Amino acid sequence: MIGFKDTTIGYTSPLLEIDNMCLEIGNVYVLIGKNGIGKSTFLRSINGEINPIQGEIQIGGQISNKLSNSIRAKTLSFTAAGFKGIPFLSTFDYVALGRTPHTGLLGRLNEVDKEQIQRSLEITGISHLTQRYTDQLSDGERQLATIAKSLAQQTPIILLDEPSAFLDYLNKRTLMQTLKRIATEENKCIVLSSHDLDICLEVGTPILLIDQRLKRIHIAEENASKASVIQQAFGIE
Amino acid sequence: MLGLSIWHLNAGQLGIGVGEFWTAILDGGNSTKEIIAREFRIPRMITALIAGGGLAVAGMIMQTLFNNPLAGPYVLGISSGSSLFVALCTMTGIPLLQSNLGVVGGAFIGALVFGGIILFFSFFIRSSVSLLLVGLMLGSFTGSLINILEATSAASELKSFAMWTMGSLQNVQFSDLTILLSIYLPSLFLLVLLVKPLNALLLGEQEAQQLGLNIKIVRISCIAVTALFTGLITAFCGPIAFVGLAVPNVSRLIFRTQNHRILLPANLLIGASFILFGDILIQLLERTVILPINVFTSLLGAPIVIFIILKRMK
Repeated sequence: MIGFKDTTIGYTSPLLEIDNMCLEIGNVYVLIGKNGIGKSTFLRSINGEINPIQGEIQIGGQISNKLSNSIRAKTLSFTAAGFKGIPFLSTFDYVALGRTPHTGLLGRLNEVDKEQIQRSLEITGISHLTQRYTDQLSDGERQLATIAKSLAQQTPIILLDEPSAFLDYLNKRTLMQTLKRIATEENKCIVLSSHDLDICLEVGTPILLIDQRLKRIHIAEENASKASVIQQAFGIE
Repeated sequence: MLGLSIWHLNAGQLGIGVGEFWTAILDGGNSTKEIIAREFRIPRMITALIAGGGLAVAGMIMQTLFNNPLAGPYVLGISSGSSLFVALCTMTGIPLLQSNLGVVGGAFIGALVFGGIILFFSFFIRSSVSLLLVGLMLGSFTGSLINILEATSAASELKSFAMWTMGSLQNVQFSDLTILLSIYLPSLFLLVLLVKPLNALLLGEQEAQQLGLNIKIVRISCIAVTALFTGLITAFCGPIAFVGLAVPNVSRLIFRTQNHRILLPANLLIGASFILFGDILIQLLERTVILPINVFTSLLGAPIVIFIILKRMK
């Protein structure tokens, strides 16, 4: 679904290299790496906001930064870190915004839209919160709402920047399990950045490792030990 | 609002019956009462509706665009642009600019120019707080320019400009209504097209773009509509403060939603009712003291804004 071939990413100077990598549908890929090494840059490059310095990133056979706005909005959803909620914006209205690429000029929701919103709320398990305002949700609930919004957008690729920040252990685990279930059952390719290595190893999701020394991203071997991942990503024995 | 409109028509020193209003409009009667009804009361009522609704909607758009509940055409310096250009028209002594059309055109161009300046800055300044500061600075900068003009102008010119800044709904004549309405009503229909982009903008520009919006076009149309409304209303009624800032917040508090499909009509109604109510009070007090509309809106608007800030701090 997302393909890299000798790609170098970065704003102006090269930041990270990806030799040859393909991210498939049905998986949750967790990006693990040091602070400031370029996790967000990587996500934004996939999203087409930042052009690769060398090589290209392909999205379902198309070059990422050449997608039109409307096609991108139907292929990729990206949620930046730190949504704090908005006063008087109900969870339903928030999730409904995910339908924006699918609605007409006036933005009216038809039956299909409403069904999709309802379904997204059910999958993420927050149907009981629809009328609550987003600024009054707990951090965990709000995070689920952002995922429901991405689901409502019906994109095959979902990018999330640090979705588990600010969550407690239980919420982090639930979130990762929910995402894994969504990826397999709804056929999504989910890429997220995280610092919760333990939970990822526990839930068993592929790890996109950013090697701090080589400045290179690769998929960690399936049975890689925690120690070796930490060694490569953070440079500590 | 309908009730307020009728009350507004009836407020005034001369009692005019319903029948006389009808004959004034339909048959073009020429008795004193009918002329007052046609030339003063009806234009004043419709102006109140347009000024209140238009400024409230302009404020709503600015607040959503800049993601800041304290934004508004007045705060961002768009009204100051109008004031500066009107000051130039009334006080420079260039005869071409001193006609009625000159004042209206001046206010309008001023709003567009300053809307453009804010738009220009908005491309470079990411943070909306900084942008508000730029707006405030623009406001005090133009304030000083106006002071210079005032210091160098004759007493009569000074007075006519001072009267304009206080704001009034009385300057609109029946013939001006055609200009006002022919710009205002079609723009209202165009506003419906902004509902979807405005809703997406609630999440910030980056996410709105992620949802497939062309952010540049959205930004330009938002500022253009605001400048159009502010310019039009400021031209005829003077700079009316606080409506654009307070009413959108009040609308959100009353309807408890961020959905612009509801907020748009809500702002039109509440904004219009606010100005109508103010103008009724002004007319009731007319015999003891003559108050300009700007005094009333600030008098009531400022406490509302403080209340909103306190409520947000909780």
